[in-house]
Amino acid sequence: MTKQNRENKEERDIQKIIGNTLRWGVTVACAIALVGGAVYLMQHGNEPIKDYAIFDKTHPEYTRLRGIFGGFFNFEAYGIIQVGVIALLLTPIVRVALSFVDFVDKHDWLYAAITSVVLAIIFVNSISSPT
Amino acid sequence: MTVLTFTIILLLGAYCAGLLGSLTGLGGGVVIIPLLTLALGVDFQYAIGGALVASIATSSGSGSAYVKEGITNIRLGMFLEIATSIGAVVGALVAIYLNNNIIAVIFGIVLIMTVVNQLRHKTDHENVKGSETARRLKLYGSYPLKDGTWRHYELTNVGGGFGVMVVAGALSGILGIGSGVLKVLAMDTIMKVPFKVSTTTSNFMIGVTAATSAVVYLQRGNIEPGIAFPVMVGVLAGALTGARLLKTLNVSTLRKIFCLAIALVALNMIYNGINGNF
Repeated sequence: MTKQNRENKEERDIQKIIGNTLRWGVTVACAIALVGGAVYLMQHGNEPIKDYAIFDKTHPEYTRLRGIFGGFFNFEAYGIIQVGVIALLLTPIVRVALSFVDFVDKHDWLYAAITSVVLAIIFVNSISSPT
Repeated sequence: MTVLTFTIILLLGAYCAGLLGSLTGLGGGVVIIPLLTLALGVDFQYAIGGALVASIATSSGSGSAYVKEGITNIRLGMFLEIATSIGAVVGALVAIYLNNNIIAVIFGIVLIMTVVNQLRHKTDHENVKGSETARRLKLYGSYPLKDGTWRHYELTNVGGGFGVMVVAGALSGILGIGSGVLKVLAMDTIMKVPFKVSTTTSNFMIGVTAATSAVVYLQRGNIEPGIAFPVMVGVLAGALTGARLLKTLNVSTLRKIFCLAIALVALNMIYNGINGNF
């Protein structure tokens, strides 16, 4: 096996793991959202919809982690659906984290650094952006 | 309208969005925003949340297939993600000060750019003499051809591509869509990356950019559970069907019809935005 081919193969191994992460993340997120959606329709299916024409600026419970997980453990529809949304959001972020592990493993410090910058931006943004 | 009726309409609409998005390569968000705002009268702020969910779902769903084939240039994607995530942060900040009408006009313009990009003639850059920066950043790569051999490629103008990526990230942050058109523009037109590598790497990056903005939008209340659930389920199911159909279907006619429809939607958005109807 030539060096180029071996590198290509190594590259494909990690890409396989990343590909699987993406697929599993999406599947799990979708399954959770489906359960939440079923609860939502059973509990509220016959009610009129909320007025979506006007944006609700009051920060309801489904905008806070505490409210989302509180709702999730009380089997409330909004909590379950939002946990599904969080699983979906985490999927690409986990993908970046996996790449970081891979670059470190390959002693590719330049790309380990680049990947950690991306992770840092996402993290700082998620806790400090004005809401 | 009852919750059940609204959910069914949105599920079907999101299914079509995912189907068309994956058949044409435009992604789900492009159809979700007009569906929610123009057809269902939903506030733009909720539509952006829905589009973010749709973008992440389609990017991750179809991305998994491309990565396995080894077309995506992970280094290139990762390096440019610094630009798109900075852009996404800026976009989410700027979005606070924009009203819905301005957002609608920006969305319309991005849609028109998307259509133009779809219709333009595509050539694969060959024998590109790569730049020194690109070599130092190890951005060169190879991708599999149909006959199973690997073709090596080089790329150039890293700075220019990086700059356009910041703008692409900002637009995703404001609109919730992947703005794949700008990502492809940065890689294909400016950095001379082979087209196939550009589109798959772009698709791969969309999920990260969208997730960066979505963590903020979730806290702002833009991601409403009653909209997120049908959008996520519908778009994913549609994207999966689309990926199956793509193997057997010739989509060039469909793509043209879809482009025309999107152009009409874009004009509608711009017209309504200028008249202050949102």
